[in-house]
Amino acid sequence: MKNRSYKAEKVIELLGKKLNRQIVGSLAACVHCGMCTEMCHYVLTNPDDPTYAPAYKGDQLRKIFKRHYDWTGRVFPWWVKAKSVYTDEDLEALKDTVFGKCTNCRRCTINCPMGVDLASFNRMARGLLVSVGIMPEGVAVVSKDQWEIGNQMGVLKEDYLDTLEWMEEELQDELEDETVKIPVDKMNCDVVYSINPREVKYDPRTIADAAKIFHFAGENWTMPSEGWDMTNFGLFSGDDDLGGSVGRRLYEKVEELRGKKLVISECGHGYRSTRCEAPNWGKLDVPFEMESSVITMLRYIKEGKIKVDKTRNQEPVTFHDSCNNARSCGLFDEPRELLNLVVTDFREMYPNKAENYCCTGGGGAMSMTEYTPRRLKSAKIKADQLTATGAKIVVTSCHNCVDGLTDLIRHYKLDIKVAQLVNLTANALVIPEKISLPEEAAVKRIPEPSTDNVLAGKKILIADDEPDILTFFSTVLEDNGAEVITALNGKEAVELIRKEKPDLVTLDLNMPEMDGGKVFEILRKDPELADIPVCIITGRPELRRLIYDRPVKAPEGYLDKPVDEDTLIINIRKILEVKKHSSK
Amino acid sequence: MADSLKINGHLLTLLKGDITDMEFESFVFYASHDLRLGAGFGNAIAVRGGQSIQAELDKIGKKNTCDVVISKAGKLKAKAILHAVGPRFKEPDTEVKLEKTIINAMKLGEDNNLKQIAFPPMGAGFYAIPLDTCAKVMMKTLKEYLGGESSVQEVIICANDNREYQAFKPYFL
Repeated sequence: MKNRSYKAEKVIELLGKKLNRQIVGSLAACVHCGMCTEMCHYVLTNPDDPTYAPAYKGDQLRKIFKRHYDWTGRVFPWWVKAKSVYTDEDLEALKDTVFGKCTNCRRCTINCPMGVDLASFNRMARGLLVSVGIMPEGVAVVSKDQWEIGNQMGVLKEDYLDTLEWMEEELQDELEDETVKIPVDKMNCDVVYSINPREVKYDPRTIADAAKIFHFAGENWTMPSEGWDMTNFGLFSGDDDLGGSVGRRLYEKVEELRGKKLVISECGHGYRSTRCEAPNWGKLDVPFEMESSVITMLRYIKEGKIKVDKTRNQEPVTFHDSCNNARSCGLFDEPRELLNLVVTDFREMYPNKAENYCCTGGGGAMSMTEYTPRRLKSAKIKADQLTATGAKIVVTSCHNCVDGLTDLIRHYKLDIKVAQLVNLTANALVIPEKISLPEEAAVKRIPEPSTDNVLAGKKILIADDEPDILTFFSTVLEDNGAEVITALNGKEAVELIRKEKPDLVTLDLNMPEMDGGKVFEILRKDPELADIPVCIITGRPELRRLIYDRPVKAPEGYLDKPVDEDTLIINIRKILEVKKHSSK
Repeated sequence: MADSLKINGHLLTLLKGDITDMEFESFVFYASHDLRLGAGFGNAIAVRGGQSIQAELDKIGKKNTCDVVISKAGKLKAKAILHAVGPRFKEPDTEVKLEKTIINAMKLGEDNNLKQIAFPPMGAGFYAIPLDTCAKVMMKTLKEYLGGESSVQEVIICANDNREYQAFKPYFL
C-alpha cells in the first residue's frame, strides 16, 4: 500500500463531499469521442499536444473519482483507467492542468453529445486544491485581497472614495455643472451601482462615463461605500465560501441602503457570479432585482431617458462576447442592440455569441503570470478573429476581457483599441439643451491633454531604455505642463531620483545596468524616497513578478506598453490625485 | 455594532470593522511563516502603516506554526501588531495549533504590557479554517485564558463582515 500525503488524503476526502448530480453526470458520462477537442482554443493552437484536449484534462480528475467514488473503478480499475493521487507532486501536476490549461470558458460543452460540462468540475478541482493551499501565487494574492480587503485588487476604502470624489470633480469641470454627483451610500435609491476594482485602479474613466449616463437619465442612484466589488474570485478559484461571502457583502449593503435594484457594471464573471452563482454559493435569498449595466443603458435609450448620437462613434467596431456573459448567462443580443444605437459601423465577429472564443484571459488567467506564454500562444485564435473583422475598436462588456484582449493585441501587434459599451454610450450621449454647453464640450472626454496644463508644477522622472519611448512620454507630459527628467538606465534613474526628488516616477522594468525591480526596491526602502509614487510601464507583463514579489509596498500604478496619450495622462493624474488626497 | 462579555474582570468584545484601521492598542495579524506582510490585511498594514513594519519583521526572519512575534505599527492607529503564524489549509491538528497560537499571542501581549488586543477570526477566510471551528476554538481559548490571571484588560474579536460577526454572535448571547 502506497503512502499518501496529508494533502492528497484531504483532496480525496473533500472530493467526496463535493460530488453532486451535475458533477457526477459530467465525470461519468464522457465517452472520449473527441468532439470537444476542436472547440478548445488551447487545442487549436497546440494541435500536437494531447494534454490540452478537454477530455484529457477532465480525465485528470475523472481518474480519481473513478478510483474512489465510482463502482467501475473499484471493480475494473485497469479498464476505466482509475488512478489515485498520492503525493503533493501529483497535486501540483493537477494544478498545472486545472489552472494552467483551461480558462473555464465552457466552449467545449457546446459540442459534447453527452452534456459534459468540463468547466464545472474543473472549477471544483481548483477548489479542492485551493482548500489545501495548492494554487498559483497570483490566485493566492487575489483571493486573500478579496477575503480580507473586500475586493480583488486590494483597493483600500479611502482610495476608492478618493477616486469617486476625483471623478465627480472631473465631471463637474467637464460639464460645468456642480449638480453632477457621484452619490455614495444614499438611501432608498432606485439603482445601486456596483463596479469592478479594476475601474478604480486602472480605468476610472468608466466610472465617470457611467455617472454621466446616470445623471442625464435622471436616475436616483448611488454607489455603496463598502461591498462595492461585484467581481468574485470564488468563481475562478473554485472556493464556494469566498464566492458566497463576497456576494453576501454586496447584497447586504444593497439591503442596508434599501436599494431597489442592483446594477452591475460591465464584467462577465462579475455579472455571472453576482446575478447567478453567489446566491447559491452563499445559500442566500436576494430580495431585489439585479441587472447588467448594458441592459440599463439600453433601457434608458429605449425609454427616451437619454439621447445618443451614433455619428460620434464612426470608427469600425466589433464586439467580443465574454464567455460568462454570453455562454453562461445568455447576454448577447442586448449589447449588440445597444452597439447599433451608439456606433455607425458595427461589424460582427465570427463565430460569436455563445460560440465565441475566449479572450484567453478568463478563469483568472490574467493573475497567473506563470502561464502567460501558454495564454498568449492560445490567443492566436482570438487575434485572427479580431483581424478578420477589419475593426479598429473591439468592444467587450467584461474587464477581464479588456485585459486579455489588450494583452493579445499588443502581443500580435494588431492596430485595434479596446473599449466598453459605457465608453461609447457616454461618448454618444447628447447633452440636453438646458445644460447649454457648446457641442465640442458635450463630447469632450477626460482628459483634454492638449489644452490643459493639468500637470503644471509637477516634476516627473521617466526611466526607460528606449529613446523613442522617452521622447514620446516626455512630449506628452511636457505638453501637459510637467517638468520632465529622463533616465536611460536603472542606475542613472536612482541617482536622478535622489538628486531631483520628483513628484512621480515612471519605471520600465527591463533596463540595462539595473532592472526596474531593483530600482523600485531601492526607492521603497529609502525613507526619503519611499513615498514617491511609482507607475510601472512595461512591455513585458511576465516581468511583473520583479515588482510584486518584492517585500515592499506595491507600486501606485501599472501600465502595459504600448501606452497611448490619453491612458498615460489619465493614469499619471489619477496617481497624483490619489497621492494628494491621501496626504491631506 | 458591538457585544461584550465580562470574564473575571476582563472584557471580551465582539465588533465589526477593518482591524487594520481601528483605534485598538494592538491587533493580531495572521502571518505567514516568512513574516512577509503580503496581500489582504498585510497589504493594508504596509500601505497604511508604512515600510518600517516590514523592515522590523525582516530582521526577525522565518518562524514556525504557533509562533507569535511583535512589531510596532508604524503610522497605523494601533501601537503594536502581534504577528501570529497560525495553522492553515486543513493541516493536521488545526484546532490544537490554533489554540496554542492564540495563547502565545496573549502571552506575548502580556509580556509587552498590552492592555487591549484585537483578534481577527483566526485563520477563517483565505486560510480555510471553517468559520464555526474558528469561532468555537477562539471563544473557548479566550474565555479560559481571561478566566485566569491576565494583565490584558480587553480582548476584541474584530469581524470583517456580517458573516463572521454572526458566527461569533451566539457566544455573546
